[in-house]
Formats: sequence, structure tokens, C-alpha cells
Amino acid sequence: MLQRSETLRGFFLLSPTLVVMTVGIVVPFAILITMSLWTAMGFDFDTTLTTANYETALEQPIYGALMHRSLVISGWATVATVLLSYPMAYYVAFHVHKNKMMWIVLMTLPFWTSYLLRVFAWKVVLGYEGVINSGLLWAGFIDAPLEFLLYSQQAVVITLAHSWVAFAILPIYVSLEKIDRSLLEAATDLGDGPMARFFRITLPLSMPGVIAASFLIFIPTTGDYITPALLGGPDGMMIGNLIQLQFGPVNNWPMGATLAIGLMLYISAIGLVFLALTKVFKERMA
Amino acid sequence: MDVLDQIGAVREGKMSRRAFTRSLAAAGVGMATVPFAGRKAMAAPEDQATYFTWGGYDIPELFGEYQAKHGELPNFSIFGASEEALTKMRGGFVVDVSHPCNQAVPRWAASGLFQSVDTSRLAHFGDIIPELTQLDGNVDGDNLWMVPFDWGQTSITYRTDLVEIEGEESWDLLWDERYAGRLGSLGSGADAWWVGAIKAGVDFDNIDTPEAFEAIAAVMREQRPHIRVYTDDTTTLEQALASGEMVAAMTWNSSATLLAAEGIPVRFAQPKEGALTWVCGLMVHKDAPNVDRAYDVIDSLLSVDTGKFMINDYGYGHSNAKSFDEFDEETLVGLGLSKNPAEILEAGHFQKPQTQEFESKMNGLFEQIKAGF
Repeated sequence: MLQRSETLRGFFLLSPTLVVMTVGIVVPFAILITMSLWTAMGFDFDTTLTTANYETALEQPIYGALMHRSLVISGWATVATVLLSYPMAYYVAFHVHKNKMMWIVLMTLPFWTSYLLRVFAWKVVLGYEGVINSGLLWAGFIDAPLEFLLYSQQAVVITLAHSWVAFAILPIYVSLEKIDRSLLEAATDLGDGPMARFFRITLPLSMPGVIAASFLIFIPTTGDYITPALLGGPDGMMIGNLIQLQFGPVNNWPMGATLAIGLMLYISAIGLVFLALTKVFKERMA
Repeated sequence: MDVLDQIGAVREGKMSRRAFTRSLAAAGVGMATVPFAGRKAMAAPEDQATYFTWGGYDIPELFGEYQAKHGELPNFSIFGASEEALTKMRGGFVVDVSHPCNQAVPRWAASGLFQSVDTSRLAHFGDIIPELTQLDGNVDGDNLWMVPFDWGQTSITYRTDLVEIEGEESWDLLWDERYAGRLGSLGSGADAWWVGAIKAGVDFDNIDTPEAFEAIAAVMREQRPHIRVYTDDTTTLEQALASGEMVAAMTWNSSATLLAAEGIPVRFAQPKEGALTWVCGLMVHKDAPNVDRAYDVIDSLLSVDTGKFMINDYGYGHSNAKSFDEFDEETLVGLGLSKNPAEILEAGHFQKPQTQEFESKMNGLFEQIKAGF
């Protein structure tokens, strides 16, 4: 009897989650999959199920190439973000003893304005008459504005790295904060210098944070379309732009759904690699 | 959760992820509700009609009559390209009035999302230049779908100090290798593809044939390496032209007019092959919650005062014939306009409405070309 009521209570506790999951994830996902098997017919859909969209996605070089480009760009953005945030997180975790809250708040400053504004700000910074070009011109390093700064893949990487930095700082900070300081003391006592301490203790022990950060940045940036649309120029277009176009001007929702699922599969595969890495590090630490 | 608790927690190095998320959520909810909190205190915007339009049409100068009557501006919702607008409305977004251009009208009407216009409810309807109402696809039987409002040209705005023109002005400028990397283009196929057709010498009557697709795709591919940016954001093009980052770009009349007003040496070309001409206007949503005010929005846009502003500040043609009486011939010619708009429209290439299949195919192909394929 007790068991039964506990089961019931379990269901009861679970049900809101279940409802949210069903309505918010399962149903939309099912719609997306079904739609990817349809065919666009002007404003309507031919609802005969077919894998033609997937075949087109595999056959036409543009889809594969943009998928690949997206992965490369977000890969670089991830690396840049982690390299940028690690020293900041490290500093707060090890060298700040007062007002940690203030420091963390300062680090999340980029999030106080909208994403779109941050992207626009970079357009101003990297632009032809932007801060960097004017600065370099003024200092006499260049004679004419650098044109590759804006409307290029570099511009997309820089902007993504800045926009997502807080997502990397927080997990890295948490993992650094968790490191047992006595391990570092012991290492010092045994004669390790600061470099050796960092590479033998701090870095390996903070790897779960680094991996979590990479994961948190890689996934959303792969599908980003605002940054490439505003700063990428003709060569900086990413798969997110293509998906948006399918749902917009091209008016081929089934193809858009197919590409969205393709992107999801790609990211899931990479996600599995990240998970495997986390596991390896956790086992090592245990 | 108390803020002091949080600060304390962090001081002890105990800021948990959960606590952090919670404060972010609180901040987020706060930010998201700010607009509602403010709005309630003012008048009630839900009483006003919603006008779904391009950026730049959401300014008080166009709504003098409306404001005089209702004391407030209509609500605005902005789109970057009209196909995006249609997609949003097909997805269930309900507005009162929307602002497409003539070549899209039959397709928009076919979507079943609009009601035909009751012209007897418009005070200024009688002043509209008749040619503009009788556009291809605009009238079907007794139904008028779109009330013409603004018209103009898609052409090249170029820096007269940075570009050397040999002989007559021509669309070739946007294909000129000498200026590779310093040319800009509108991003939407509704402009660029049709310009490609003019460049390729394709007759607009045959623009939907496979041969035309091939010929236009070829010229667009040829142009692509020269283009610094394709964008629907005209401000981007205007700023690039102003700074000299670009020397020439495909734009509408307004960009040239705005830049010239800023004292930048630009000219809006009259290419020898002919410019691309367009007429845009207003359609009423079939479920418009504020039909009466929807007609007030349209009437306000058709008024002479609005027309004066459109002609003078944007360099666009206006549909109200009386608006042109406010200007002398010389000013109009300087703006690339005329008291007889039919003249301008006939001199250029006028877009013809196409099927949804054409639009999808054209946009799909153009996007591939832009992406480098």
C-alpha cells in the first residue's frame, strides 16, 4: 500500500515536468520531424512522407559546406572564449578574496545588454571607420583601413567569443573554486614551482569546467544566425542563416526542418564526444 | 531570496549555480516586464491599429492625420523584407495594416490572409494616381487588394568623387572589377534578382523560364566576388557609402536622397538599361482587430502632408497626385521624380507578379549564389 502511494506521489511530482517536457519538447520535435518528411508546395505542404529533403541536403554541396563552416567557426569561437575566460576565472578564484560577487557581476556585464546590441557594437568596433581601424590609422600602423576586420569569418569568431564569455567564465570559475587548496600547498612543499603546480594540479582538476564551458558555447554558436548575418559578409554565412532563409524568403519549411534536424544530429554527435571527455577526466580525478 | 544572502554566499565562495540562475531569472523577468509596466501608465496602445511595415516608415511624420484624430501613433511592427512579413503573418501574427509591394500582391492575396479594401472608407482615395491602382494583379474583379502608397526605383547610388563613369551610367558599375570589394547590394532577391535580369537582358515577361534562371544566375555569380556585403539593412549601405568603404551600391531612392542631404557627394544613377521600378502599398488583414483605425492609418499615409514628407525627405514618389503640386518641376526632377509618375514607371522596368514557386526557386538559388555556390 505504502509502495503504491509512493509510486502515485512519484507520478504526481513528475507530472508537471512531464507536461512541460511533452508540450515544450516532444511535440515540437515530433512536428519538426514530420515536417522534414513533407514537401513544400507553394503555401501548402504535400504531406506524403518522403526522405527527398534529406537526400537533397546530402546531395547539394552548399548544405554540407555550410554545416562544416559553422562547426569550424564555432570551434574557433569556443577555443577563443575558453582562452579568454580561463585567466579571468582563475584570477577571481585564486586572487580575489573580497567582493567576489562584484567581480562575477562585472564578468557578466556583457549580458546586461541585448545580444543584438552587442553584435552591433562589434560592427562599430570592427568597422571601416571603427575603433580599431581609426586607432591603427592614428597610430600610423596602417595607411588604409583594414577591410578584413568586418564582413569576414574572423569578425564572427571575435563577436561570438565576446558575446558568450560569461557562459565560459562561470563553469570554469566553479571548477577552480572547488579545487582543494591543500593539494597546491602540498605541491609547493614538495618543490613544485607555480608553472608545474598549474599544469599538474590546477588545469587537470579544472578540466570538467573547461569541457562544460566548451559545450555551453559550442552548441548555441553553431546555430547562431544574427552574428553571421550582420558581420559575416558573403563568406561568413552559417547553417543557421540557411535554416532561417528556408523558413523565410525561400518558403520551404520542410527543407528548413530537415536542416535543423541535420544540425541537431551533428551537434549531438559532437556532444557525445564532449560527454566522453568529461567521463575520462572524472575517472582520472576519482 | 534576499540579495544580502546572495552577496554573503558569494563572499564565502558559495555562490551556487542554482542561486546564480535564480538571480539571472529574476533579472530577466524584471527586464521583460518593464515595457508592460511603463505602457499601462500611458494611454492604451491596444486601442491603436498595428501597422506592419519596413523600418523607416515608423515615424510620426507619416501619421499627422492619425495622431490628430486619435492622439497617438499607431503601433508599429517592423520587418526587414516583405517575404519575412508574410511568413510571420502566415505563422499567426495578426496586424491591421501591412505594407507589401505590387509584385507580391497576388501571392499575398492568395494566402487568404487579407480582405479587399473598401475604397469608400478612404477620404483620400479619389486623389490617388489612377495608374497606380490599376497595377498588374492589384485588382481582381471588384476587389482592390492593395492601396498604392509609395513608389520609386531600385538603382545605383554611387560616390561621384570616387567613381569614374565612362559614358552613360550603367548597371555595369555593380559588376566593375575596378571596384571589387567596394560594391554593395540589397540582399533580397525581390530587388537583386530582378536587377540581374536587367543586366542579363532578360525580358521580365520571361523571367520565370529555365533559360532566364540560368542567364540571371550566371550574372549574379559573376558579380558575387565583387560585392562586399549583401544586406536588406539600407543603413548599412548608406553608412558604407558615406565613409567611402563602398563606392557604389544598389539602393532605393531614399538612400541617395538621405546621403545628399548630409552633403555627401552621391548620385542616384539612371542606368541606360533602365532602373527597376516598384510600387508599394497597404493591405488590410482579414482579422484586423481595429478595421476602423486600419483605414485611418491608410488615410493618414495617403494624405498630402505625408506625401510632401515622402517626396522631400525620402525622394520617393507618393500615390496622392496632389502631393506633387507642393513641389516645382525642377525639385522633382532633381529627386529623379516627375509630376507624371507614369513616365518614370514606364522608363524603368516594372516588376511583374510571380507565382510562389518562382519566389521559392529564385530565393533559394539566389541564397546559394550569395553563399558562394
